[in-house]
Amino acid sequence: MTERNEPRLTRRALLATVGVSTAALAGCTGSGSEGPYDAADDGSDADRESDDGGTESGEEGPPTREAVVPLDHDLESFNQNVLSGGVSQDGIPSIDDPEFESVDEVDGRLDDGDPVFAVAVDGEARAYPQSILVWHEIVNDRVGGLDLAVTYCPLTGTAIGFERGGTEFGVSGRLVNSNLIMYDRAGESWWPQVLGTAIDGPREGEALIEHPVIWTTWERFRDVYPDGAVLTERTGFSRDYDRDPYGSYNPKRDYYEDDGTMFDTMHDDDRHGHKEVFIGARDEDGALAVEKERLREDRLVEHDVGGVPHLAVYGPDLDTGYVYRNPEGASIEVDGEEYLVDGDPYPADDLPLERLNAFDAMWFAWVAFYPDTEVID
Amino acid sequence: MGATARGVSWLSRTTAVSRGALSRRDSAVVFSLVTLVYLLGFLLAIGDLNVRPEAGLSMLVVDDPLSRMFEPGPGPFAYEGIATIDLIVARYLFSPVNLAIGLGLSLLVGLNLALSYLAVTQPKSCGIGAGTGVLASVPALVSGTACCAPVIFLVLGIQASAALLSVFVWLLPIGVLLLLGSLAYVATKVDPTALGASSTVD
Repeated sequence: MTERNEPRLTRRALLATVGVSTAALAGCTGSGSEGPYDAADDGSDADRESDDGGTESGEEGPPTREAVVPLDHDLESFNQNVLSGGVSQDGIPSIDDPEFESVDEVDGRLDDGDPVFAVAVDGEARAYPQSILVWHEIVNDRVGGLDLAVTYCPLTGTAIGFERGGTEFGVSGRLVNSNLIMYDRAGESWWPQVLGTAIDGPREGEALIEHPVIWTTWERFRDVYPDGAVLTERTGFSRDYDRDPYGSYNPKRDYYEDDGTMFDTMHDDDRHGHKEVFIGARDEDGALAVEKERLREDRLVEHDVGGVPHLAVYGPDLDTGYVYRNPEGASIEVDGEEYLVDGDPYPADDLPLERLNAFDAMWFAWVAFYPDTEVID
Repeated sequence: MGATARGVSWLSRTTAVSRGALSRRDSAVVFSLVTLVYLLGFLLAIGDLNVRPEAGLSMLVVDDPLSRMFEPGPGPFAYEGIATIDLIVARYLFSPVNLAIGLGLSLLVGLNLALSYLAVTQPKSCGIGAGTGVLASVPALVSGTACCAPVIFLVLGIQASAALLSVFVWLLPIGVLLLLGSLAYVATKVDPTALGASSTVD
Protein backbone atom coordinates (compact mmCIF):
# COMPACT_ATOMS: atom_id res chain seq x y z
CA MET A 1 0.00 0.00 0.00
CA THR A 2 1.56 3.25 -1.02
CA GLU A 3 1.06 6.46 0.78
CA ARG A 4 1.01 9.69 -1.17
CA ASN A 5 4.37 11.15 -1.82
CA GLU A 6 3.72 14.82 -1.28
CA PRO A 7 3.20 16.43 2.10
CA ARG A 8 -0.39 17.19 2.94
CA LEU A 9 -1.02 20.87 2.42
CA THR A 10 -3.24 22.90 4.66
CA ARG A 11 -6.80 22.22 3.71
CA ARG A 12 -8.46 25.28 2.33
CA ALA A 13 -11.65 26.45 3.86
CA LEU A 14 -14.31 24.00 2.91
CA LEU A 15 -16.49 25.37 0.19
CA ALA A 16 -20.11 25.71 1.02
CA THR A 17 -20.95 24.30 -2.32
CA VAL A 18 -18.65 22.06 -4.23
CA GLY A 19 -19.01 19.58 -6.97
CA VAL A 20 -18.71 19.26 -10.66
CA SER A 21 -19.43 21.70 -13.40
CA THR A 22 -19.96 20.73 -16.95
CA ALA A 23 -18.42 22.02 -20.07
CA ALA A 24 -21.48 24.06 -20.76
CA LEU A 25 -21.32 26.13 -17.62
CA ALA A 26 -20.17 29.68 -17.81
CA GLY A 27 -18.17 31.62 -15.27
CA CYS A 28 -15.01 29.73 -14.58
CA THR A 29 -12.02 30.39 -12.48
CA GLY A 30 -8.46 29.34 -12.66
CA SER A 31 -6.61 27.92 -9.76
CA GLY A 32 -5.58 30.33 -7.12
CA SER A 33 -4.14 27.59 -5.00
CA GLU A 34 -0.71 27.48 -3.54
CA GLY A 35 1.60 24.56 -4.07
CA PRO A 36 3.08 22.72 -7.01
CA TYR A 37 0.77 24.31 -9.54
CA ASP A 38 2.09 27.80 -8.83
CA ALA A 39 4.94 27.66 -11.30
CA ALA A 40 2.98 29.11 -14.17
CA ASP A 41 -0.17 30.01 -12.34
CA ASP A 42 0.37 33.66 -11.72
CA GLY A 43 -2.15 35.15 -14.03
CA SER A 44 0.49 35.62 -16.65
CA ASP A 45 0.30 34.61 -20.25
CA ALA A 46 0.84 31.06 -19.16
CA ASP A 47 -2.80 31.01 -18.14
CA ARG A 48 -4.88 30.41 -21.19
CA GLU A 49 -8.49 29.94 -21.87
CA SER A 50 -9.52 26.43 -22.76
CA ASP A 51 -11.79 25.56 -25.63
CA ASP A 52 -14.94 25.68 -23.57
CA GLY A 53 -14.17 28.66 -21.44
CA GLY A 54 -12.34 27.04 -18.55
CA THR A 55 -9.01 28.38 -17.51
CA GLU A 56 -5.91 26.31 -17.84
CA SER A 57 -3.92 27.33 -14.85
CA GLY A 58 -0.29 26.86 -15.64
CA GLU A 59 1.69 24.43 -17.75
CA GLU A 60 1.74 21.69 -15.17
CA GLY A 61 -1.66 21.23 -13.61
CA PRO A 62 -4.90 20.26 -15.31
CA PRO A 63 -7.33 23.03 -16.26
CA THR A 64 -10.05 23.42 -13.69
CA ARG A 65 -13.01 25.56 -12.86
CA GLU A 66 -14.70 26.43 -9.63
CA ALA A 67 -17.04 23.69 -8.59
CA VAL A 68 -20.64 24.74 -8.38
CA VAL A 69 -22.84 21.71 -7.83
CA PRO A 70 -24.15 21.34 -4.29
CA LEU A 71 -23.04 18.00 -2.90
CA ASP A 72 -24.65 15.96 -0.20
CA HIS A 73 -21.28 14.98 1.23
CA ASP A 74 -18.60 17.47 2.19
CA LEU A 75 -15.01 16.96 1.12
CA GLU A 76 -13.97 15.73 4.54
CA SER A 77 -16.57 12.97 4.33
CA PHE A 78 -15.19 11.86 0.99
CA ASN A 79 -11.70 11.76 2.48
CA GLN A 80 -12.88 9.74 5.44
CA ASN A 81 -14.38 7.19 3.09
CA VAL A 82 -11.31 6.71 0.91
CA LEU A 83 -10.19 3.08 0.84
CA SER A 84 -7.17 1.36 -0.58
CA GLY A 85 -8.15 -1.09 -3.29
CA GLY A 86 -5.12 -3.16 -2.36
CA VAL A 87 -3.27 -1.60 -5.28
CA SER A 88 -0.25 0.69 -5.10
CA GLN A 89 -0.14 4.10 -6.77
CA ASP A 90 0.39 3.45 -10.49
CA GLY A 91 0.13 -0.28 -9.76
CA ILE A 92 -2.59 0.03 -12.38
CA PRO A 93 -0.52 1.82 -15.00
CA SER A 94 -2.07 4.50 -17.14
CA ILE A 95 -1.35 4.41 -20.86
CA ASP A 96 0.79 7.43 -21.56
CA ASP A 97 1.92 6.68 -25.11
CA PRO A 98 -1.19 5.24 -26.72
CA GLU A 99 -0.97 3.75 -30.19
CA PHE A 100 -3.92 3.59 -32.57
CA GLU A 101 -4.92 1.75 -35.69
CA SER A 102 -7.65 2.37 -38.20
CA VAL A 103 -11.06 0.73 -37.97
CA ASP A 104 -10.15 -1.48 -40.92
CA GLU A 105 -7.01 -2.76 -39.21
CA VAL A 106 -8.81 -4.05 -36.14
CA ASP A 107 -9.74 -7.28 -37.88
CA GLY A 108 -11.13 -9.83 -35.39
CA ARG A 109 -9.64 -8.29 -32.26
CA LEU A 110 -13.02 -6.91 -31.21
CA ASP A 111 -16.46 -8.51 -31.42
CA ASP A 112 -19.41 -6.44 -32.57
CA GLY A 113 -20.96 -6.27 -29.10
CA ASP A 114 -17.76 -5.48 -27.21
CA PRO A 115 -17.97 -2.19 -25.36
CA VAL A 116 -15.76 0.67 -26.49
CA PHE A 117 -15.56 4.24 -25.24
CA ALA A 118 -15.94 6.76 -28.04
CA VAL A 119 -14.40 10.21 -28.06
CA ALA A 120 -14.80 12.74 -30.84
CA VAL A 121 -13.01 16.09 -30.91
CA ASP A 122 -12.90 18.44 -33.85
CA GLY A 123 -13.69 15.75 -36.39
CA GLU A 124 -11.26 13.20 -34.94
CA ALA A 125 -12.88 10.09 -33.43
CA ARG A 126 -11.22 7.45 -31.31
CA ALA A 127 -12.41 4.25 -29.68
CA TYR A 128 -10.92 2.94 -26.46
CA PRO A 129 -11.85 -0.74 -25.98
CA GLN A 130 -13.12 -1.55 -22.50
CA SER A 131 -11.03 -4.73 -22.64
CA ILE A 132 -7.88 -2.59 -22.60
CA LEU A 133 -9.03 0.13 -20.24
CA VAL A 134 -10.09 -2.39 -17.61
CA TRP A 135 -6.35 -2.99 -17.07
CA HIS A 136 -5.24 0.65 -17.25
CA GLU A 137 -8.23 2.85 -16.34
CA ILE A 138 -6.61 6.00 -17.74
CA VAL A 139 -5.30 6.90 -21.18
CA ASN A 140 -3.40 10.18 -21.35
CA ASP A 141 -4.09 11.13 -24.93
CA ARG A 142 -4.33 14.05 -27.33
CA VAL A 143 -7.41 14.03 -29.55
CA GLY A 144 -8.23 16.68 -32.12
CA GLY A 145 -5.55 18.91 -30.60
CA LEU A 146 -7.01 18.62 -27.12
CA ASP A 147 -5.05 17.02 -24.28
CA LEU A 148 -7.49 14.58 -22.76
CA ALA A 149 -7.45 11.93 -20.09
CA VAL A 150 -9.91 9.21 -21.06
CA THR A 151 -10.77 7.44 -17.84
CA TYR A 152 -12.72 4.32 -16.94
CA CYS A 153 -13.59 2.79 -13.60
CA PRO A 154 -14.58 -0.90 -13.91
CA LEU A 155 -16.17 -1.10 -10.47
CA THR A 156 -18.62 1.75 -11.07
CA GLY A 157 -19.01 1.32 -14.83
CA THR A 158 -18.14 4.94 -15.58
CA ALA A 159 -16.15 6.36 -18.49
CA ILE A 160 -15.43 10.09 -18.38
CA GLY A 161 -13.06 12.38 -20.24
CA PHE A 162 -11.15 15.21 -18.58
CA GLU A 163 -9.04 17.94 -20.05
CA ARG A 164 -5.58 17.41 -18.63
CA GLY A 165 -3.65 20.46 -19.81
CA GLY A 166 0.06 19.88 -19.54
CA THR A 167 -0.06 17.10 -17.00
CA GLU A 168 -1.02 13.45 -16.92
CA PHE A 169 -3.33 11.58 -14.65
CA GLY A 170 -2.48 8.34 -12.89
CA VAL A 171 -4.31 5.76 -10.82
CA SER A 172 -3.86 6.40 -7.10
CA GLY A 173 -4.87 2.88 -6.06
CA ARG A 174 -7.48 4.42 -3.76
CA LEU A 175 -11.23 4.29 -4.11
CA VAL A 176 -14.23 6.11 -2.76
CA ASN A 177 -17.69 4.64 -3.31
CA SER A 178 -15.81 1.94 -5.29
CA ASN A 179 -14.83 4.67 -7.74
CA LEU A 180 -11.35 5.26 -9.13
CA ILE A 181 -9.47 8.11 -7.48
CA MET A 182 -7.13 9.66 -10.02
CA TYR A 183 -4.15 11.78 -9.13
CA ASP A 184 -2.55 14.40 -11.30
CA ARG A 185 1.18 14.06 -11.77
CA ALA A 186 1.76 17.79 -11.43
CA GLY A 187 0.62 18.24 -7.86
CA GLU A 188 -0.88 14.93 -6.80
CA SER A 189 -4.30 16.18 -5.90
CA TRP A 190 -6.83 13.38 -5.54
CA TRP A 191 -9.72 13.42 -8.01
CA PRO A 192 -12.51 10.84 -7.66
CA GLN A 193 -13.54 10.16 -11.23
CA VAL A 194 -17.34 10.47 -10.85
CA LEU A 195 -16.98 13.63 -8.80
CA GLY A 196 -14.36 15.21 -11.06
CA THR A 197 -13.53 17.40 -8.11
CA ALA A 198 -10.35 17.28 -6.03
CA ILE A 199 -11.10 16.05 -2.54
CA ASP A 200 -7.56 16.54 -1.27
CA GLY A 201 -4.30 18.14 -2.29
CA PRO A 202 -3.41 21.55 -3.65
CA ARG A 203 -6.42 21.64 -5.99
CA GLU A 204 -8.92 20.65 -3.31
CA GLY A 205 -12.42 21.86 -4.15
CA GLU A 206 -11.65 22.58 -7.81
CA ALA A 207 -13.44 20.73 -10.61
CA LEU A 208 -11.92 19.36 -13.79
CA ILE A 209 -13.29 20.28 -17.18
CA GLU A 210 -15.07 17.25 -18.58
CA HIS A 211 -15.34 16.01 -22.11
CA PRO A 212 -17.98 13.57 -23.36
CA VAL A 213 -16.96 9.92 -23.55
CA ILE A 214 -19.69 7.73 -25.01
CA TRP A 215 -20.11 4.14 -23.86
CA THR A 216 -21.05 2.25 -27.00
CA THR A 217 -20.19 -0.96 -28.85
CA TRP A 218 -17.53 -1.73 -31.39
CA GLU A 219 -20.15 -2.28 -34.11
CA ARG A 220 -21.84 1.05 -33.47
CA PHE A 221 -18.57 2.96 -33.32
CA ARG A 222 -17.45 1.37 -36.59
CA ASP A 223 -20.71 2.34 -38.28
CA VAL A 224 -20.74 5.92 -37.02
CA TYR A 225 -17.02 6.60 -37.36
CA PRO A 226 -15.70 4.43 -40.22
CA ASP A 227 -12.65 6.68 -40.42
CA GLY A 228 -12.04 6.56 -36.69
CA ALA A 229 -9.02 5.16 -34.86
CA VAL A 230 -8.90 2.42 -32.26
CA LEU A 231 -6.53 2.03 -29.33
CA THR A 232 -4.23 -0.96 -29.88
CA GLU A 233 -2.96 -3.51 -27.39
CA ARG A 234 0.57 -2.15 -27.83
CA THR A 235 0.33 -0.32 -24.53
CA GLY A 236 3.87 -0.85 -23.33
CA PHE A 237 2.63 -3.32 -20.71
CA SER A 238 2.20 -7.06 -20.57
CA ARG A 239 -1.48 -7.78 -19.91
CA ASP A 240 -3.95 -10.44 -20.94
CA TYR A 241 -6.39 -8.23 -22.81
CA ASP A 242 -8.58 -11.21 -23.67
CA ARG A 243 -9.43 -11.62 -20.01
CA ASP A 244 -11.48 -9.25 -17.89
CA PRO A 245 -10.74 -9.89 -14.21
CA TYR A 246 -14.24 -8.81 -13.23
CA GLY A 247 -16.26 -10.82 -15.72
CA SER A 248 -17.65 -9.90 -19.11
CA TYR A 249 -19.90 -7.36 -20.79
CA ASN A 250 -20.39 -9.43 -23.94
CA PRO A 251 -22.33 -11.29 -22.64
CA LYS A 252 -22.75 -9.56 -19.32
CA ARG A 253 -21.72 -11.73 -16.37
CA ASP A 254 -20.01 -11.90 -12.96
CA TYR A 255 -19.28 -8.54 -11.30
CA TYR A 256 -20.99 -6.57 -14.05
CA GLU A 257 -24.19 -8.53 -13.59
CA ASP A 258 -24.17 -9.63 -9.94
CA ASP A 259 -25.80 -7.34 -7.43
CA GLY A 260 -22.85 -7.45 -5.02
CA THR A 261 -20.41 -4.58 -4.61
CA MET A 262 -16.78 -4.75 -3.59
CA PHE A 263 -16.59 -1.93 -1.09
CA ASP A 264 -18.80 0.02 1.30
CA THR A 265 -20.31 3.18 -0.07
CA MET A 266 -21.31 6.44 1.59
CA HIS A 267 -24.96 5.92 0.77
CA ASP A 268 -27.04 2.93 -0.29
CA ASP A 269 -30.39 3.08 -2.07
CA ASP A 270 -32.32 -0.08 -2.90
CA ARG A 271 -34.76 1.45 -5.36
CA HIS A 272 -32.77 -0.25 -8.11
CA GLY A 273 -30.31 -3.07 -8.50
CA HIS A 274 -26.76 -2.00 -7.72
CA LYS A 275 -25.48 -2.58 -11.23
CA GLU A 276 -28.45 -1.20 -13.13
CA VAL A 277 -27.19 1.30 -15.70
CA PHE A 278 -28.25 4.93 -15.48
CA ILE A 279 -27.28 7.96 -17.51
CA GLY A 280 -26.02 10.46 -14.97
CA ALA A 281 -25.59 14.21 -15.37
CA ARG A 282 -25.19 17.12 -13.00
CA ASP A 283 -25.01 20.88 -13.08
CA GLU A 284 -25.54 23.80 -10.73
CA ASP A 285 -29.20 22.80 -10.37
CA GLY A 286 -28.41 19.34 -9.02
CA ALA A 287 -27.98 15.78 -10.21
CA LEU A 288 -30.15 13.72 -12.55
CA ALA A 289 -30.11 9.97 -13.20
CA VAL A 290 -32.05 8.50 -16.12
CA GLU A 291 -32.57 4.76 -16.29
CA LYS A 292 -30.94 3.80 -19.57
CA GLU A 293 -33.47 1.13 -20.44
CA ARG A 294 -36.33 3.58 -19.87
CA LEU A 295 -34.62 6.11 -22.14
CA ARG A 296 -34.21 3.49 -24.87
CA GLU A 297 -37.93 2.83 -24.77
CA ASP A 298 -39.26 6.37 -24.35
CA ARG A 299 -36.59 8.19 -26.42
CA LEU A 300 -37.40 11.46 -24.62
CA VAL A 301 -37.88 12.11 -20.90
CA GLU A 302 -38.26 15.42 -19.13
CA HIS A 303 -37.79 16.30 -15.48
CA ASP A 304 -37.17 19.30 -13.26
CA VAL A 305 -33.86 19.47 -11.45
CA GLY A 306 -33.67 22.12 -8.77
CA GLY A 307 -36.81 23.62 -10.25
CA VAL A 308 -35.26 23.95 -13.72
CA PRO A 309 -36.56 21.83 -16.61
CA HIS A 310 -34.09 19.26 -17.92
CA LEU A 311 -34.52 16.57 -20.54
CA ALA A 312 -32.77 13.49 -21.83
CA VAL A 313 -32.93 12.14 -25.36
CA TYR A 314 -31.81 8.81 -26.74
CA GLY A 315 -29.20 8.57 -29.47
CA PRO A 316 -29.85 5.26 -31.26
CA ASP A 317 -26.71 5.31 -33.40
CA LEU A 318 -24.39 4.99 -30.41
CA ASP A 319 -27.03 3.65 -27.99
CA THR A 320 -26.51 6.46 -25.54
CA GLY A 321 -28.33 9.31 -23.84
CA TYR A 322 -27.81 13.05 -23.98
CA VAL A 323 -28.96 15.36 -21.20
CA TYR A 324 -29.88 19.01 -21.71
CA ARG A 325 -30.87 21.91 -19.51
CA ASN A 326 -34.03 23.49 -20.82
CA PRO A 327 -34.66 26.56 -18.63
CA GLU A 328 -36.85 28.28 -21.23
CA GLY A 329 -39.05 25.23 -21.53
CA ALA A 330 -38.59 24.78 -25.27
CA SER A 331 -40.97 22.32 -26.87
CA ILE A 332 -39.36 18.95 -27.70
CA GLU A 333 -40.82 16.08 -29.72
CA VAL A 334 -39.49 12.83 -31.08
CA ASP A 335 -39.32 12.88 -34.87
CA GLY A 336 -38.05 9.58 -36.24
CA GLU A 337 -34.38 9.37 -35.25
CA GLU A 338 -34.26 13.11 -34.64
CA TYR A 339 -35.95 15.55 -32.29
CA LEU A 340 -38.06 18.60 -33.02
CA VAL A 341 -37.14 21.60 -30.91
CA ASP A 342 -39.75 24.30 -31.28
CA GLY A 343 -40.60 22.66 -34.61
CA ASP A 344 -37.08 22.36 -36.06
CA PRO A 345 -35.33 18.95 -36.40
CA TYR A 346 -32.03 18.22 -34.64
CA PRO A 347 -29.94 15.10 -33.98
CA ALA A 348 -29.93 13.81 -30.42
CA ASP A 349 -26.41 15.03 -29.71
CA ASP A 350 -26.90 18.52 -31.02
CA LEU A 351 -30.11 20.05 -29.69
CA PRO A 352 -29.97 23.85 -29.48
CA LEU A 353 -29.95 23.68 -25.70
CA GLU A 354 -27.34 23.67 -22.95
CA ARG A 355 -25.89 20.15 -23.04
CA LEU A 356 -24.57 18.61 -19.84
CA ASN A 357 -21.87 16.00 -19.78
CA ALA A 358 -23.70 12.70 -19.29
CA PHE A 359 -22.27 9.26 -18.79
CA ASP A 360 -23.28 5.71 -17.98
CA ALA A 361 -22.97 4.73 -14.33
CA MET A 362 -23.97 1.84 -12.15
CA TRP A 363 -26.86 2.87 -9.93
CA PHE A 364 -25.12 2.14 -6.63
CA ALA A 365 -22.22 4.41 -7.50
CA TRP A 366 -24.26 7.31 -8.81
CA VAL A 367 -26.56 7.36 -5.81
CA ALA A 368 -23.62 7.00 -3.43
CA PHE A 369 -22.12 10.21 -4.78
CA TYR A 370 -25.44 11.97 -5.31
CA PRO A 371 -28.00 10.62 -2.83
CA ASP A 372 -30.37 13.52 -3.53
CA THR A 373 -30.30 12.91 -7.26
CA GLU A 374 -33.46 13.30 -9.26
CA VAL A 375 -34.35 9.98 -10.82
CA ILE A 376 -36.21 9.12 -14.01
CA ASP A 377 -36.99 5.41 -13.95
CA MET B 1 19.70 -23.41 26.36
CA GLY B 2 19.38 -19.75 25.39
CA ALA B 3 17.12 -18.46 22.66
CA THR B 4 20.00 -17.90 20.26
CA ALA B 5 21.40 -21.36 20.82
CA ARG B 6 17.95 -22.84 20.42
CA GLY B 7 17.53 -20.94 17.16
CA VAL B 8 20.85 -22.18 15.85
CA SER B 9 19.89 -25.68 16.84
CA TRP B 10 16.56 -25.45 14.99
CA LEU B 11 18.26 -24.04 11.94
CA SER B 12 20.88 -26.75 12.03
CA ARG B 13 18.27 -29.46 12.41
CA THR B 14 16.03 -28.04 9.71
CA THR B 15 18.94 -27.75 7.29
CA ALA B 16 20.13 -31.24 8.01
CA VAL B 17 16.71 -32.80 7.71
CA SER B 18 16.00 -30.86 4.52
CA ARG B 19 19.23 -32.11 2.96
CA GLY B 20 18.34 -35.60 4.02
CA ALA B 21 14.89 -35.31 2.49
CA LEU B 22 16.31 -34.15 -0.83
CA SER B 23 18.78 -37.00 -0.87
CA ARG B 24 16.02 -39.63 -0.68
CA ARG B 25 14.34 -40.53 -3.90
CA ASP B 26 10.77 -40.67 -2.60
CA SER B 27 10.84 -37.40 -0.66
CA ALA B 28 12.78 -35.73 -3.49
CA VAL B 29 9.98 -36.69 -5.88
CA VAL B 30 7.43 -35.21 -3.47
CA PHE B 31 9.54 -32.05 -3.24
CA SER B 32 9.84 -31.67 -7.01
CA LEU B 33 6.18 -32.32 -7.75
CA VAL B 34 4.90 -30.03 -5.02
CA THR B 35 7.30 -27.24 -6.00
CA LEU B 36 6.20 -27.41 -9.62
CA VAL B 37 2.49 -27.62 -8.87
CA TYR B 38 2.63 -24.81 -6.33
CA LEU B 39 4.58 -22.59 -8.70
CA LEU B 40 1.98 -23.10 -11.41
CA GLY B 41 -0.79 -22.50 -8.87
CA PHE B 42 0.88 -19.32 -7.65
CA LEU B 43 1.30 -17.95 -11.17
CA LEU B 44 -2.34 -18.77 -11.90
CA ALA B 45 -3.46 -17.16 -8.65
CA ILE B 46 -1.66 -13.88 -9.27
CA GLY B 47 -2.89 -13.80 -12.86
CA ASP B 48 0.47 -14.21 -14.59
CA LEU B 49 -0.59 -17.54 -16.08
CA ASN B 50 -3.92 -18.11 -17.76
CA VAL B 51 -5.36 -21.14 -19.48
CA ARG B 52 -6.07 -20.24 -23.10
CA PRO B 53 -6.97 -23.29 -25.21
CA GLU B 54 -6.39 -21.50 -28.52
CA ALA B 55 -3.40 -19.44 -27.55
CA GLY B 56 -1.12 -20.52 -30.37
CA LEU B 57 2.57 -19.73 -30.23
CA SER B 58 3.82 -16.16 -30.00
CA MET B 59 5.77 -13.77 -27.84
CA LEU B 60 5.49 -10.02 -27.43
CA VAL B 61 8.19 -8.24 -25.45
CA VAL B 62 7.53 -4.77 -24.03
CA ASP B 63 9.80 -1.83 -24.71
CA ASP B 64 12.61 -1.35 -22.23
CA PRO B 65 12.04 -4.60 -20.33
CA LEU B 66 14.97 -4.12 -17.95
CA SER B 67 13.43 -1.10 -16.30
CA ARG B 68 9.86 -2.32 -16.64
CA MET B 69 10.52 -5.55 -14.73
CA PHE B 70 11.17 -3.71 -11.47
CA GLU B 71 8.09 -1.52 -11.64
CA PRO B 72 5.41 -2.45 -9.10
CA GLY B 73 2.43 -4.36 -10.42
CA PRO B 74 -1.17 -4.14 -9.23
CA GLY B 75 -0.80 -5.98 -5.95
CA PRO B 76 1.56 -5.79 -3.02
CA PHE B 77 4.85 -7.56 -3.77
CA ALA B 78 3.84 -7.90 -7.42
CA TYR B 79 5.86 -6.59 -10.33
CA GLU B 80 5.33 -5.80 -13.97
CA GLY B 81 5.66 -8.36 -16.71
CA ILE B 82 8.02 -7.84 -19.61
CA ALA B 83 6.63 -10.30 -22.16
CA THR B 84 3.34 -11.87 -23.15
CA ILE B 85 3.99 -15.45 -24.16
CA ASP B 86 1.35 -17.63 -25.80
CA LEU B 87 2.14 -21.29 -25.25
CA ILE B 88 -0.45 -23.27 -27.24
CA VAL B 89 -2.81 -23.80 -24.31
CA ALA B 90 -1.76 -21.02 -21.96
CA ARG B 91 -0.87 -17.35 -21.93
CA TYR B 92 2.02 -16.44 -19.64
CA LEU B 93 2.77 -12.87 -18.66
CA PHE B 94 6.44 -13.25 -17.90
CA SER B 95 7.50 -11.19 -14.91
CA PRO B 96 11.02 -12.17 -13.77
CA VAL B 97 10.51 -10.79 -10.26
CA ASN B 98 7.13 -12.47 -9.79
CA LEU B 99 8.65 -15.70 -11.05
CA ALA B 100 11.52 -15.41 -8.56
CA ILE B 101 9.12 -14.75 -5.70
CA GLY B 102 6.94 -17.65 -6.80
CA LEU B 103 9.92 -19.95 -7.10
CA GLY B 104 11.11 -19.04 -3.59
CA LEU B 105 7.67 -19.72 -2.15
CA SER B 106 7.35 -22.93 -4.11
CA LEU B 107 10.67 -24.25 -2.84
CA LEU B 108 9.55 -23.56 0.72
CA VAL B 109 6.23 -25.32 0.16
CA GLY B 110 8.00 -28.20 -1.57
CA LEU B 111 10.35 -28.66 1.38
CA ASN B 112 7.48 -28.42 3.83
CA LEU B 113 5.55 -31.14 2.07
CA ALA B 114 8.61 -33.33 1.55
CA LEU B 115 9.34 -33.21 5.29
CA SER B 116 5.69 -33.74 6.09
CA TYR B 117 5.76 -36.81 3.88
CA LEU B 118 8.73 -38.16 5.80
CA ALA B 119 7.16 -37.33 9.15
CA VAL B 120 4.12 -39.35 8.21
CA THR B 121 5.89 -42.29 6.58
CA GLN B 122 8.77 -42.80 9.00
CA PRO B 123 8.35 -45.72 11.40
CA LYS B 124 8.89 -43.46 14.41
CA SER B 125 6.56 -40.83 13.06
CA CYS B 126 4.01 -39.30 15.35
CA GLY B 127 2.38 -37.54 12.41
CA ILE B 128 1.66 -34.44 14.44
CA GLY B 129 1.80 -31.25 12.45
CA ALA B 130 2.30 -32.87 9.11
CA GLY B 131 -0.38 -30.68 7.60
CA THR B 132 1.02 -27.35 8.77
CA GLY B 133 2.96 -26.87 5.55
CA VAL B 134 -0.22 -27.16 3.52
CA LEU B 135 -1.95 -24.56 5.65
CA ALA B 136 1.07 -22.28 5.56
CA SER B 137 1.08 -22.41 1.77
CA VAL B 138 -2.36 -20.83 1.48
CA PRO B 139 -1.78 -17.12 2.29
CA ALA B 140 0.57 -16.49 -0.62
CA LEU B 141 -1.87 -18.16 -2.99
CA VAL B 142 -4.62 -15.67 -2.19
CA SER B 143 -2.40 -12.60 -2.31
CA GLY B 144 -3.07 -11.82 -5.98
CA THR B 145 -4.65 -8.54 -6.98
CA ALA B 146 -6.72 -7.72 -10.03
CA CYS B 147 -7.21 -4.21 -11.28
CA CYS B 148 -8.97 -2.54 -8.41
CA ALA B 149 -9.23 -5.20 -5.79
CA PRO B 150 -7.82 -8.44 -4.43
CA VAL B 151 -8.71 -11.41 -6.61
CA ILE B 152 -9.87 -13.46 -3.66
CA PHE B 153 -12.59 -10.91 -2.82
CA LEU B 154 -13.81 -11.08 -6.40
CA VAL B 155 -13.78 -14.86 -6.42
CA LEU B 156 -15.59 -15.19 -3.11
CA GLY B 157 -17.86 -12.25 -3.76
CA ILE B 158 -17.19 -10.73 -0.36
CA GLN B 159 -17.15 -7.04 0.39
CA ALA B 160 -13.74 -5.71 1.26
CA SER B 161 -13.47 -3.67 4.43
CA ALA B 162 -10.55 -1.43 5.35
CA ALA B 163 -9.48 -3.96 7.99
CA LEU B 164 -9.49 -6.84 5.53
CA LEU B 165 -7.53 -4.82 3.02
CA SER B 166 -4.94 -3.95 5.64
CA VAL B 167 -4.40 -7.63 6.35
CA PHE B 168 -4.39 -8.45 2.66
CA VAL B 169 -1.32 -6.31 2.03
CA TRP B 170 0.69 -8.50 4.39
CA LEU B 171 -0.49 -11.87 3.12
CA LEU B 172 2.64 -12.71 1.18
CA PRO B 173 5.19 -11.93 3.92
CA ILE B 174 2.88 -13.64 6.42
CA GLY B 175 2.85 -16.65 4.11
CA VAL B 176 6.66 -16.71 3.97
CA LEU B 177 6.95 -16.53 7.75
CA LEU B 178 4.37 -19.28 8.19
CA LEU B 179 6.21 -21.49 5.72
CA LEU B 180 9.54 -20.94 7.49
CA GLY B 181 7.95 -21.60 10.89
CA SER B 182 6.17 -24.65 9.60
CA LEU B 183 9.37 -25.97 8.04
CA ALA B 184 11.25 -25.64 11.32
CA TYR B 185 8.37 -27.30 13.16
CA VAL B 186 7.95 -30.22 10.79
CA ALA B 187 11.72 -30.79 10.85
CA THR B 188 11.40 -31.62 14.53
CA LYS B 189 8.96 -34.39 13.65
CA VAL B 190 11.39 -36.16 11.35
CA ASP B 191 13.98 -38.54 12.71
CA PRO B 192 17.26 -37.32 11.19
CA THR B 193 19.09 -40.53 11.96
CA ALA B 194 16.72 -42.43 9.73
CA LEU B 195 17.66 -40.10 6.89
CA GLY B 196 21.37 -40.48 7.43
CA ALA B 197 21.60 -36.75 8.15
CA SER B 198 25.16 -35.95 9.10
CA SER B 199 24.60 -32.73 10.98
CA THR B 200 24.50 -32.80 14.74
CA VAL B 201 21.01 -32.34 16.03
CA ASP B 202 19.61 -32.54 19.47
